[in-house]
Amino acid sequence: MKTPITRSARTGIIFGIIHVFLVLIGFNTLVGTLLARLSGAQLINALPAPGFMITYSLLLALWAGFTAARKGEANSLPVSLAHGAVAGVASGALAFCFSLVISWFLVNRVDFRQYLAVLSFDFIRITLFNLAPLSGSLATAAVFATGGALGGLVNGVFGLKEVKAALGKVSAAFTGLRHRLNSNLRGKYRPVFLAAGVILLAAVVILLPLKWGSYWNYVTGTVGLYVVLGLGLNIIVGLSGQLVLGYIAFFAIGAYTMALLNSPVPHNLMWGFWPALLLGVPLAALAGVLLGLPLMRLRGDYLAIVTLGFGEIIRILLKSDILTDLTGGPRGIQNISGPTLFGRTFNSDIQFMYLIAAAVLLAAFVYNRLQYSRAGRAWLSIREDETVARATGVNTTRYKLLALALGAAFAGLAGAIFASRNQFTGPEEHSLMASINVLSLIIVGGMGNIPGTILGAFALKGLPEILREFANYRLLTFGALLVVMMLSRPNGMIPSKRPKYRIPKETADDTPREARHDG
Amino acid sequence: MKALKYIIMIVLFSLVITACQPANAATDQAADAAAPAACAADAFGCAVFKTGEVIKIGMGAPMTGGDASYGIDISSGGFIAVDDFGDLNGFKFELVAEDDGGTAEGGAAVANKFASDPAVVAVAGHIYSGATSAAMPIYEKVGIPMLSPSASLPELTTLGSTVFNRIVFTDARQGPPAAEYLFNKLNVKKLAVLHDGSDYGKGLAEAVAAHFVELGGEVVVTEAITKGETDYTPVLSAVAAKSPDGLYFGGYTAEGAIIVNQMKQTGLEKVLFFGDDGTYGADFLSRTGPNGEGAFATIAPIPPDSAEKAAFDAAYLEKFGKEAGSLSPYTWNGYDATAALIQAVKSVAVIGDNGNLYVPRGALVKAVRTLTDYKGVGGTYSCDASGECNTLPPMFVVVKDGAWVPAP
Amino acid sequence: MNEPYLRKVTLKSNLFIKVLRPLLGALIVIFVLFRLYQVLFVQQEYGPETWTRLLIAGLIIGGVYALIAIGYTLVYGILFMINFAHGEVMMLGAYSCFFVFEALKTIRVSSGENFSNAFPVLAILIAFIVGMGVSAASGYFLEKIAYRPLRKAPRLVPLIGAIGASIFLQNAAQLLFSPQLRDVTNPEVMRRGSGWSVLINGSNVIIPYTGVFTFVLSFLLLAGLYIVVQKTSLGRAMRAVALDKKTAALMGIDVDKTISRTFLISGALAGAAGVMWGIHNGLVYYFVGFIPGIKAFTAAVLGGIGNLPGAMLGGLFLGVIESLGPAALGIDFQLKDVIAFVLLIIILIFRPSGLLGEVLAEEKV
Repeated sequence: MKTPITRSARTGIIFGIIHVFLVLIGFNTLVGTLLARLSGAQLINALPAPGFMITYSLLLALWAGFTAARKGEANSLPVSLAHGAVAGVASGALAFCFSLVISWFLVNRVDFRQYLAVLSFDFIRITLFNLAPLSGSLATAAVFATGGALGGLVNGVFGLKEVKAALGKVSAAFTGLRHRLNSNLRGKYRPVFLAAGVILLAAVVILLPLKWGSYWNYVTGTVGLYVVLGLGLNIIVGLSGQLVLGYIAFFAIGAYTMALLNSPVPHNLMWGFWPALLLGVPLAALAGVLLGLPLMRLRGDYLAIVTLGFGEIIRILLKSDILTDLTGGPRGIQNISGPTLFGRTFNSDIQFMYLIAAAVLLAAFVYNRLQYSRAGRAWLSIREDETVARATGVNTTRYKLLALALGAAFAGLAGAIFASRNQFTGPEEHSLMASINVLSLIIVGGMGNIPGTILGAFALKGLPEILREFANYRLLTFGALLVVMMLSRPNGMIPSKRPKYRIPKETADDTPREARHDG
Repeated sequence: MKALKYIIMIVLFSLVITACQPANAATDQAADAAAPAACAADAFGCAVFKTGEVIKIGMGAPMTGGDASYGIDISSGGFIAVDDFGDLNGFKFELVAEDDGGTAEGGAAVANKFASDPAVVAVAGHIYSGATSAAMPIYEKVGIPMLSPSASLPELTTLGSTVFNRIVFTDARQGPPAAEYLFNKLNVKKLAVLHDGSDYGKGLAEAVAAHFVELGGEVVVTEAITKGETDYTPVLSAVAAKSPDGLYFGGYTAEGAIIVNQMKQTGLEKVLFFGDDGTYGADFLSRTGPNGEGAFATIAPIPPDSAEKAAFDAAYLEKFGKEAGSLSPYTWNGYDATAALIQAVKSVAVIGDNGNLYVPRGALVKAVRTLTDYKGVGGTYSCDASGECNTLPPMFVVVKDGAWVPAP
Repeated sequence: MNEPYLRKVTLKSNLFIKVLRPLLGALIVIFVLFRLYQVLFVQQEYGPETWTRLLIAGLIIGGVYALIAIGYTLVYGILFMINFAHGEVMMLGAYSCFFVFEALKTIRVSSGENFSNAFPVLAILIAFIVGMGVSAASGYFLEKIAYRPLRKAPRLVPLIGAIGASIFLQNAAQLLFSPQLRDVTNPEVMRRGSGWSVLINGSNVIIPYTGVFTFVLSFLLLAGLYIVVQKTSLGRAMRAVALDKKTAALMGIDVDKTISRTFLISGALAGAAGVMWGIHNGLVYYFVGFIPGIKAFTAAVLGGIGNLPGAMLGGLFLGVIESLGPAALGIDFQLKDVIAFVLLIIILIFRPSGLLGEVLAEEKV
């Protein structure tokens, strides 16, 4: 019974269920509100006008119809239209039943918000487009059917020969342009372009913090610090293949070193930023070694859980009663002073932005050098197969510890700057979710490479800021996007290329002595 | 040549964001000839609103994650305050609740966002002390006054901030009187002190324990629980082994109610439970039922059944479909903080000859700091020089026949 | 070739194993014994009634941990992935429990009582059926939507997908049901806090009905699962897929179907744990799965991940240690998680693949 049409109906039903879910969490009014705000319309009683709600439903149905038609591999306009319409009608039928159910609450004045938080009477009314229950439900169904058909139509139009040919031309033109650009870039102008790029980047790094206001400075600064964190974790996870889940503990060590040495309460040491930084980074590295030493025999998820435990131990100890006199307990540490350079105290967001940019450049430089060093190759061999690496003579213990120490040092650096910038640090800043964020960012971006890490940091720390418009739906959207990103790009947004070994021509018959990396 | 591609991408992205920045023209009143004299004299200048523009009150609160109930609830209270008072000669107020996750990182991000939005004149927040600590210096620079409904960390008002004020009932206010009440009135000589490991609960527990010892009582055990769990029988059993007369708990209803319930199964049946303003509220009653009989709490000195409060509770139930206080004990503070800020804005705002509304920022900072005898639904507030606005001694309440009544 | 690549590595890496590790072990044992001696014989803070109470609490919570840990271990055993959203699946079960009892409360039967008080056994049975059903379904769809397309991806990718799913489910529950903390209304006979009362050392120690129910049911479910895995054809298929997917497919086992069913079972167990959580602990909210999820994951690793009896043992062990550890060592209860995690680290130092893990488990990952 799996004819293409029933499959389209199934797609429609899935979209109907999605619709029900989205209505129950109030997502439809959110989109309606955003649409209203975009068009500059006024909200009535904090809810959008019915027109925007209809637009929302239409868009969802359009998507349903489009998906159904594409899945059905419709090859002509009418067939595509039919697929879309079937999906639209199926989802419309479901939406119809659902609308009847919620209008029952309205008609009988049952306040169900105790159980389903969004179902206020105003909300139900606007979901029914301010119409009477039956006509509202019918209107919903009609909107869905129309939207589905439209979606099918869109898919069909894209499938038309003429449109396909036109699209092909456009994309061919683009590819040609790209190839020309690429060949120019690779050719003799390469140094020129590179220099221009570097100058441009420098100009951006220098000028932008002055221009774009404290909010974006702050957000970009956070992203920058997470790039440093991500690079550090990449050394441990991406290069040497040890899954560490409590990475934020090293960050905490850096932050607390900075905080304790550089704030009036609790110890009033006031060493200044630079000595604290110079102490915090090695301390974090030392913690990495001390943690790694007994755990060298652990692999994979056993290591993950132990480091997760380590992170939690650090957090709980920081806030515990027994260490309150030392660390400030759950109150954290306020009033951490900023760095002083050439007699000037850093306190504005712009100066910190430069400091963070410098830290990112330093981290990227170190990471890049490490990646292609002997240590980098040793890590790679450990990642691929530890037993074989050991058998071929790699001192696995030493290199694994080195990776942990370096990764921890990166985290210590980021933590110290972070604490100083926020002028505050507390135990809850270093929770498990923060570790998970860092791990997510390197995997989302693409494990083991610098551009991937930067992109991942933008995705993980910049995206939630961009998603602020979604208000309370921010994290929901973020979680869904995380899944979608993984499904669509399982190797990360910028996958690492495995280093290729180029056999030098003159020694092609021999075992390669020197390996060149191309990545 | 991948590097170049990324450089181009980064440059483009940054340009887009720069382009999207709202022009900060609204605060730049130099060219505005109609600006009243108050603006020129003001250290931070004026926020200018043209006809039809909304005056924004910010709120940084955890709206997502494990502590979302606090942010959602406190901002809900604030929304009702906007409904009640949010109109100034045709200019509408709006409460903008941004998610800071309760962390310093989020707090600073939200603070920067508010600071770069010229329409935000004041902030009712932040909710958590960590976020507040990181946000304070940012508001300080641009002259946005804060009135926090719930950030109770004692140090916050000792840092010399001119913008930070709070209406929350702090540890220092309720701890020592609670200890005295326990020792003298309730005749508790052996006290067990528990807290939830948060800055609020811990500070309170320490204040009570210290004062109780000073009075000559004995603190037989001090323990901390882990927030967010649901089984505290192990720690309560250990407390029971020390056979205290009373148990003081510093923390919130979420854990407090569980403790009260589980005291009955761990050998603490006859021990008196004494909570704080965080364990007060209708939610405590509904979650403890008969187990809650005889539990004490300290609250800000306000009759628990004033007409304004009843009106607020009804409005809350109508708008959000649940009882006020069922999400957090700070609903009323959220309402009061927002309403007090709106009142302060109204007191300093000037309407220019061209019909624009001018809010002098420096004067507003001062107006909030000098708030006097503001009668809210959760207390009467008068801010002192350091920004503490809830300074009256506490009132003691006890659960009797399933309701909170003033304790004898 | 360069020297370090060729140098023998045995000496350095064995220094730890030969010298430091026994030293560390001895130190730890001496410390623990010393603390135990102090607490039990010198200070004598706690009488037998307190120890009994602590043990009861530990066993009950351990039973729940064990049940959730089994879900982790089942999935891990087959896919080698950490199903980070497992705690959220349990949360959905707990919510189902809450809603079932709320619904049954409104139904009046002829005697004037509400349904859940009039027919407590039936009410609890319904709660379990609904809770396990909801959780099993969510586990099933989670696998189908988020994990199946990633089966060929690098090992960490499904983990991030699972983290995303976990964030999504938490927030979805928060937005659907509001962030309010809910109390499950049990049938009157199973009221929380009521139980058999035993007089120990002049003090009433209560053994709660809900706790005993939770504990016994956990073990019945675990026993049932063990039989399923060891004796039925589905169990054989699961074990075969766990060993080698390709060969299993060649032998005519439908790998996809087997994995789906594994997720169904693990979801149902998480749902049962959620319902028990609702009945015993009573508190249900959107974040309720997070901490038990982490703890159960710890328990699963403690017992040797991928090993069913190991997960049971790990769960019980963790529950008891959390409950007894602070008292036995005379440490603040706030640090119970520190004790649990330190213990985990120590156990893994001496047994790198968990209490009951196979010695060669490291080869698999």
